[in-house]
Amino acid sequence: MKTILRSDELSCPTCVDNIESNLNQTEGVSQAKVHFNTGRIEVEHDPETVSEDKLVEIVGHSGYEARISQF
Amino acid sequence: MESLKKLLRNLANHSKRKKVLLVISGSLITGGWAVDFFWDSAVLFNTLMIGAALVAGSEIARRAWRGLTNRHTNIELLVTIAAIGGLAIEVYWEAAAVTFLFLLGGWLEARTMSKTRNTLRDLINMAPDTATVLENGSRRDIPAREVKEGMRVLVRPGSKIPVDGIVESGKTAVDESAITGEPIPAEKQPESEVFAGTMNQNGSIQVRSTKAGGDTTLAKIIRRVEEAQEEKAPTQRFIERFSRWYTPGIVGLSIVSYLFTWDLELALTLLVIGCPGALVISTPISIISGIGNAAKKGILIKGGEYLENAGKVSAVALDKTGTLTRGKPKVTEIIYLQKEEVEAGITESPQSLDEATVVSASDLEIQDSPEEIHELLYWAGIAESNSGHPLADAILSEMPKSLDLPEPDYFRSHTGLGIEASYAGKQILVGNVKFLEQQGVPFGQTIYSQIERLTSKDRTMVLIARDSRVVGGIAISDPIRPDAPELVERLRETGISRIAMLTGDARPVAQAIGREVGIEEIHAGILPDQKNDIIQKIQQESGKVAMIGDGINDAPALATADIGIAMGTAGTDVAIETADIALMSDKLMNIPEALRISKLTLRNIHQNVAIALVTVAALLTGVFIGSIHMAAGMLIHELSVMLVILNGMRLRWL
Repeated sequence: MKTILRSDELSCPTCVDNIESNLNQTEGVSQAKVHFNTGRIEVEHDPETVSEDKLVEIVGHSGYEARISQF
Repeated sequence: MESLKKLLRNLANHSKRKKVLLVISGSLITGGWAVDFFWDSAVLFNTLMIGAALVAGSEIARRAWRGLTNRHTNIELLVTIAAIGGLAIEVYWEAAAVTFLFLLGGWLEARTMSKTRNTLRDLINMAPDTATVLENGSRRDIPAREVKEGMRVLVRPGSKIPVDGIVESGKTAVDESAITGEPIPAEKQPESEVFAGTMNQNGSIQVRSTKAGGDTTLAKIIRRVEEAQEEKAPTQRFIERFSRWYTPGIVGLSIVSYLFTWDLELALTLLVIGCPGALVISTPISIISGIGNAAKKGILIKGGEYLENAGKVSAVALDKTGTLTRGKPKVTEIIYLQKEEVEAGITESPQSLDEATVVSASDLEIQDSPEEIHELLYWAGIAESNSGHPLADAILSEMPKSLDLPEPDYFRSHTGLGIEASYAGKQILVGNVKFLEQQGVPFGQTIYSQIERLTSKDRTMVLIARDSRVVGGIAISDPIRPDAPELVERLRETGISRIAMLTGDARPVAQAIGREVGIEEIHAGILPDQKNDIIQKIQQESGKVAMIGDGINDAPALATADIGIAMGTAGTDVAIETADIALMSDKLMNIPEALRISKLTLRNIHQNVAIALVTVAALLTGVFIGSIHMAAGMLIHELSVMLVILNGMRLRWL
């Protein structure tokens, strides 16, 4: 399943790597891509293992507030 | 006790934690300066500063550690090393200032970046969440994205339209500015197309849904704008390569200068300014603002690369039909030859060919018009009824409804010339002057000069002959859009030195249009694939070329040009996908506006890169001549980042 998160807080492109690797190291996440310019975070994940809310929490741990978005 | 709990709760929430840490460390720093000023207590001053550095530094160190566990070295790591080093060499105030400023800068940057990214959120929020569906006479509210194709949706006055669709019943005005950027509401009646996210104003309508949720034009626009903002401009790619070695370079420089000078503070100061912050953010911030602002005006720019190209355009090629003109030809005049009375009551076709009368279509009441016009339209109608040519539509729409047109017995189309047909033993020729001349039809002097007069006034002439005798002609005109002359003028003002018109139409017509709108360079009578060659020629002679067309017929030329701009694309997915810049509305003035926004964005990028590079150079020089220490270095660094962000944000209000 693909979930789109949005964070408006990304302020330095280096944080992109940080969020991406935090997500990618999470069990149940197959692929995570962070777009710096728009603050869009695309996550391919298995909702059974890792829920959407959990994804928001992981991004939060990396230091950025994110929310789930329809598109 | 209660407030302590609240504080702890806030510390657990990452975004609030930053604020809390900022307030605490800021107060500690202020307190430190106060005790220094009032009591001159170095011990207390140092204690408070160490406290401030630890409070602000804890968050930075936490992120540095998180990065390290992911095997990433980041800017936070550099700042952490600098702060620890500062504490070790007992420059407590510097350590406190560096950590506090870094945290404050990050917080301010996040807030302003969030404002910039908001442009799109306004668009996303345009689409209503629910739709009122009518089924078997009952109403039901369902989520808008679950509306299926063909469902009937009720839209009340003053509410937003939840889906793309066709009006089935009702009349209203709809504010479509979300899609087209056009502030004047569009009139809607049955069979009109409506878009999700637009505002229904004064009437209640029922809409048959065609698209919902992620398939709507609004969703496509948002997706397109986001892809555009994420597409990296050449400048951004260059800078990202640059910044990839900048940070390690600075770390290396710091180590080398320590080995040479044994000056630890100098080495630490270098670490502080090692973040290429202003540089990496310089291009993205301008592009996000520029593309976002353009989108709000109904101008979709495909990406940073196109923005840079559009900013450099020096020549513009315009398609005539449908771009400079309305693209809906109309009959404007009819020329007919009066019949002569041979004997009382018996008329004959004119023999002399000298008596040609011109009536303008606006004066023409088909019912009361002379018999000659009826006959002329009748024969032209028979020949044109099968042709499907755009001019034929104009002629056929002039036919009186009562007139029953028979099918021709014989029909042959001569491409680019006219039509040959026959009915009831009569031969009919309908076409241009060249065609009739080729077929050996004689012309009188009067009709010839009338034709010349009308052609020089942008009319396209269609002549009608029956049994090799001219019976008259129909003048058709595709009038220019009222804002076309202003468009050309504005393009010249914005520094476009070369403006050319490309058209398949005949030269006299094209020249007449050119005179009306103010274009001298005219390429007339060309076929679609020749447009490509002309664009390539202009590219060689004048540099970057923008081609403006309707997006479907002109697709190859739009692709060849450095920038392809498609007009009036709301609802046509192909044009939105293929054009480099898609204008949602038919408003011509959006073309210079698109080029203007591109130019200003390009200039903004250059300004930002300049600010960032000058800052880096000034900081390095300052550090080495010893006039900048850690606190000042961090302050200037953060100020330059803020300056770049604020400069980029200016583009939102253009």
